[in-house]
Amino acid sequence: MASVRDLRDRIKSLKNTQQITKAMKQVAAAKIRRAEAVQKQARPYADTLAEMLRDLLQNVRSVDHPFMKPGRAGAPSGVILMTADKGLAGAFNSNLVQTAETFRRAHQDAVFYSVGIKARNAIRRWGKADHATWVLGAPDKIRTAREISERVSADFTNGTIGEIVLISPKLISMMSQKPERRTLVPITGEQSPERSGVLSERSESKGKGAVEFSPSPEFVLSRLIPKYLEFTIYSAMLETDAAFFAAQLVAMSNATDNAGKLIRDLTIVMNNARQAAITKELLEIVAGAEALAG
Amino acid sequence: MASAVAFKLITPTEIVFEGEAELVIATGTEGEEGILAHHAPFLTALRPGVLRANVSGSSGQTSRLELATSEGFMQALPDRVTVIVDQALRFEDVDVVQTRQQLSEALERQAHVAAQSPEFAREQSAIDFANAKLRLTGH
Repeated sequence: MASVRDLRDRIKSLKNTQQITKAMKQVAAAKIRRAEAVQKQARPYADTLAEMLRDLLQNVRSVDHPFMKPGRAGAPSGVILMTADKGLAGAFNSNLVQTAETFRRAHQDAVFYSVGIKARNAIRRWGKADHATWVLGAPDKIRTAREISERVSADFTNGTIGEIVLISPKLISMMSQKPERRTLVPITGEQSPERSGVLSERSESKGKGAVEFSPSPEFVLSRLIPKYLEFTIYSAMLETDAAFFAAQLVAMSNATDNAGKLIRDLTIVMNNARQAAITKELLEIVAGAEALAG
Repeated sequence: MASAVAFKLITPTEIVFEGEAELVIATGTEGEEGILAHHAPFLTALRPGVLRANVSGSSGQTSRLELATSEGFMQALPDRVTVIVDQALRFEDVDVVQTRQQLSEALERQAHVAAQSPEFAREQSAIDFANAKLRLTGH
């Protein structure tokens, strides 16, 4: 059995660990609030952009944009894997990497792009050291989103990749985040309703009155679609941020609880050990006294 | 007062302005577009430029709103005008020294890329936005 001193040392180090996890939990809680606020601020922009696109698609007879058509036949998939830059958030990053891994098994030739340091490390581990990569936590996320969007768009247009797939976390609730895989380009009607219902609703409200486009619907569309892709990537980055802090909050809260439990258990063991030592000493004294008296 | 439309100016990070406007002038890809109330449905792409609007506050008096905006879109409907841009800066948000530096850097970078490439267009957009910021601040 461990000595009282050993136990005391272990309890002390556990208490230190608990203090760290507790602080990280509080930081995550504060950051998630900020991340959610940023997400909320992006809402009006998202809604307007979607509305404009809907208006436009209703008024364009034939949509002639490379993003609306299938990519080059036989070209590999382009996958954007989005994770956090840091860890200590439970299985958050590894779940995302696993989703990408599954996709990779089915599409051996897939081209990967990484957003977030954890994604970068994972993809490098697969032997793709020179893939395009961005960090999630850059100060100007809009700019990062534009760079990503420009890069994947160029690769799609010149036939390097045949589709653009995004793997990023979806924040279902504070307690649960799930990796989600969706095809961004070519744009089809069958994407998740909330995000791209935009594009499938086009037949619904016809006859709203002709809209005039300057200089032409095709031109405005050729500007709007890249913007839509860019913004989708931007909002996925915001969601990754929020989901990461939510995952970290849960992970750190569990770690704090576990440390507390261990401290309690070890304290009981330590008290027992101390009491046993005292009892033993007493017995020895009593036994010694009796031997003398006897 | 002349009839007004609901006017909203939105960026990905905030709603810069929300209120009533009598007139909104923005720089479209084809030149300046002025929008009054009861405009026919209209949608245009915007180039970086200075956006001007005669807006009325809650107390009824009109004031002038001037902002340097980057690329975006403007949608006009009979009862509302909505502008979405990546960035919209007020006079007091413009850092002239920094903008001058951005301008010269963008010009420098543009000189090294082919005229038809996407990089060229991107730098052009940065140059236009920097110029708009300088124009807004009277430089």
